[in-house]
Amino acid sequence: MKMKQLYKYLFAAVLILQLTACNNNTDAEQLFQDTPTARLNKQKSELNDALLSSQYGWKAVYFTDNTVLGGYTHLFRFADDGTVQMASDFDADTATYKSEYAIQVGSTVSLTFTTKNRIHLLSDSDNYPIPALRAKGYLGDFQFLYYGQENGEIIFRTNRSNQELRFVKATAEDWTELPKNLLMEKNVIGGEERPLFRLLETNDGTTTHKFDFSFTAVTRFANSNSIENGYSVSYDMGIGYTPTGIIVSPAVEVGGQKLSNFTYNDADGSFTATGTGGVSAVIKYTDKPLVLTDDYKFLLPGKPLSWFGFFVDDYTIDAPTNSPLFYAELEKVNAALPAGQRIASIEIYANHSIGTFVYYTFVGRGALQHHVTVQEDATGKKAILKHKSWNGNTTVATPAFLASIDKYFMDPEGIYVKAESFRLFYSDPVYTFTSASSPFRMTTWKLN
Amino acid sequence: MKIMKLLKYNKIAVLALVSITLFSCGNDDLPGESQLDFTQPEKTSLDNWIDVTYLNPYNINVQYKWNQNTVDNSRYLFPPEVDKVKPALEIVETIWLKSYAAIGGPDFVKKIAPREIVLVGGVNLNSVGTKTLGLAEGGQRVTLFETDYVDKSDRDNVAQFIHTIQHEYIHILNQNKPFDEKTWKTLTPGGYTADWYNFEIEESNELGFITSYARSNINEDFAETAAMILIYTKEEYAAFLDGIENPFALQALKAKEAIVVKYFKEAFNMDFYALRDEAEKNTTSVIN
Repeated sequence: MKMKQLYKYLFAAVLILQLTACNNNTDAEQLFQDTPTARLNKQKSELNDALLSSQYGWKAVYFTDNTVLGGYTHLFRFADDGTVQMASDFDADTATYKSEYAIQVGSTVSLTFTTKNRIHLLSDSDNYPIPALRAKGYLGDFQFLYYGQENGEIIFRTNRSNQELRFVKATAEDWTELPKNLLMEKNVIGGEERPLFRLLETNDGTTTHKFDFSFTAVTRFANSNSIENGYSVSYDMGIGYTPTGIIVSPAVEVGGQKLSNFTYNDADGSFTATGTGGVSAVIKYTDKPLVLTDDYKFLLPGKPLSWFGFFVDDYTIDAPTNSPLFYAELEKVNAALPAGQRIASIEIYANHSIGTFVYYTFVGRGALQHHVTVQEDATGKKAILKHKSWNGNTTVATPAFLASIDKYFMDPEGIYVKAESFRLFYSDPVYTFTSASSPFRMTTWKLN
Repeated sequence: MKIMKLLKYNKIAVLALVSITLFSCGNDDLPGESQLDFTQPEKTSLDNWIDVTYLNPYNINVQYKWNQNTVDNSRYLFPPEVDKVKPALEIVETIWLKSYAAIGGPDFVKKIAPREIVLVGGVNLNSVGTKTLGLAEGGQRVTLFETDYVDKSDRDNVAQFIHTIQHEYIHILNQNKPFDEKTWKTLTPGGYTADWYNFEIEESNELGFITSYARSNINEDFAETAAMILIYTKEEYAAFLDGIENPFALQALKAKEAIVVKYFKEAFNMDFYALRDEAEKNTTSVIN
């Protein structure tokens, strides 16, 4: 029996299905008004209109990967004939060049710079800033997927690495002042006359924290680590240049606020970003080392003999810790010496049986000993060297050719001594001597 | 009886279903014109020159504007400078297309040719430090790198650039008609190595290979041997053979040359030496 009934139900079910199949009134919610194709076309014209809408074009500070590289500013002015005028601060050539662009429809709508221009310099496998980026250039992209607009900015994501990139409306000044970005780079690198030490100081309104700060120009990237014990925060950031300062990415987060725009102050070489409620971050110079050590005590009276040496013809000359001012002073000595004579070494003997002295040796002439007395500055963690005699003769004046370099060792503010963690080829420990009131730093081996 | 009834119902039901199916969707919209925008960008004078020089006579499309679908997206490459495209294509046309047309007949390259040439501006650097100069994919597409660095006034520079297309075209010919791989395999079996780039060219020459890259496998060996002979002038190649000290290597190089010559004759009825002379003549005419 049941067989027949079963068939009946089955027929009924199929009939109902068939009868309702073509009902237009699906209950599914309509998320979009248009078909996907129509929506893509709409996006395409929306992007095209936006690109053409800005009188002075668009500006993008492109951080290709803010874990290793800084930002590269690009200016674009699009024309409706498919060409684009472009300038960038990638290198000293900030001139404007013309190339082609296209709005391409693939899985989504994208802006592609289809013929060569400045932005392609970031994507040259054969031009990379550090060995780790070999065959990867500057990790740049030149196809940007369109993700809409917000507050007058166009939001893209890069095709390869899926990074957000925003185009903001450019101004006439952006175009004329682009070369100033590269002048600003010099300030970020820092001139020879600036102090040797640099730090990042954050203030969340109540507490300040200090971080060391080192900048690598080839990658436009800075590393900044806390120098306080028990406070292990780091700020590593890519840096982009502006005519008035720098933009950093990722932003420096202080007291819950994200600070990314720093303004340059030429008086002291500092860069300051200010938030609200007393929050700020400052990158600034200091004459004082960030971390003071007790290594100066080698020089104090009553200690055993210590012998430090810098040698012109040996690995000490290549130490990265020698300062430009130190090299300049060596040149000055040689320039003041008669032809055929030059400085060969500067050694410091502390607590030798004949006293404590700076020992200058030369090629082509005899050595000179500058005997000193040593005072301690225990709070400043410095040793202060004071003139006693030249080669034991207390009445003879300082030789003219040594006067300039010698005064840094006799700095009335004293000298800092620091054991470095690196070695210079040989296993001898490396110590640096830094004048407390000027960017003069000499690197030596400790030879006993 | 019951079964009969059931069958009747069946028939009626089937009829009903069929008619519903046939008529139900009758008022659906017919497909109209495509909603996709197929308007082509305006052609530049360069685009028109490419049409006249490559597309119309040889049915080869040249792509110099960036299209992510024709390049390896994991590589850091970029499109060529527009000003460099025409000089590069002129070199390819004169030394490669015209030489084959002169010796193989005007239709030769039309029949066996890549359907697309992709030009890339910069160097395709590999992580081991080698540079990929060109690619031939499935016999359909040839990609030429370093277009931005082409310098028509420098014979060595032109030779390197044309080396790429000659080499890749040999691959395409091989993909149409195979060469005598059996014999080739027996000539220098011990010399093939994956780290060919660690060897000086002179070192590889003395093992019976025309370049170090030829040592990567027999297909590359064949392509390198044919391409290099086409790039050398007759005198240069003779001088190259003269310089080989190892008699075994010399013998191997000559045996390889003979297989190449035989291949061109048997597979395509072409005189390989005549092709070489034509390429040499055309190379001279290209260099300013």
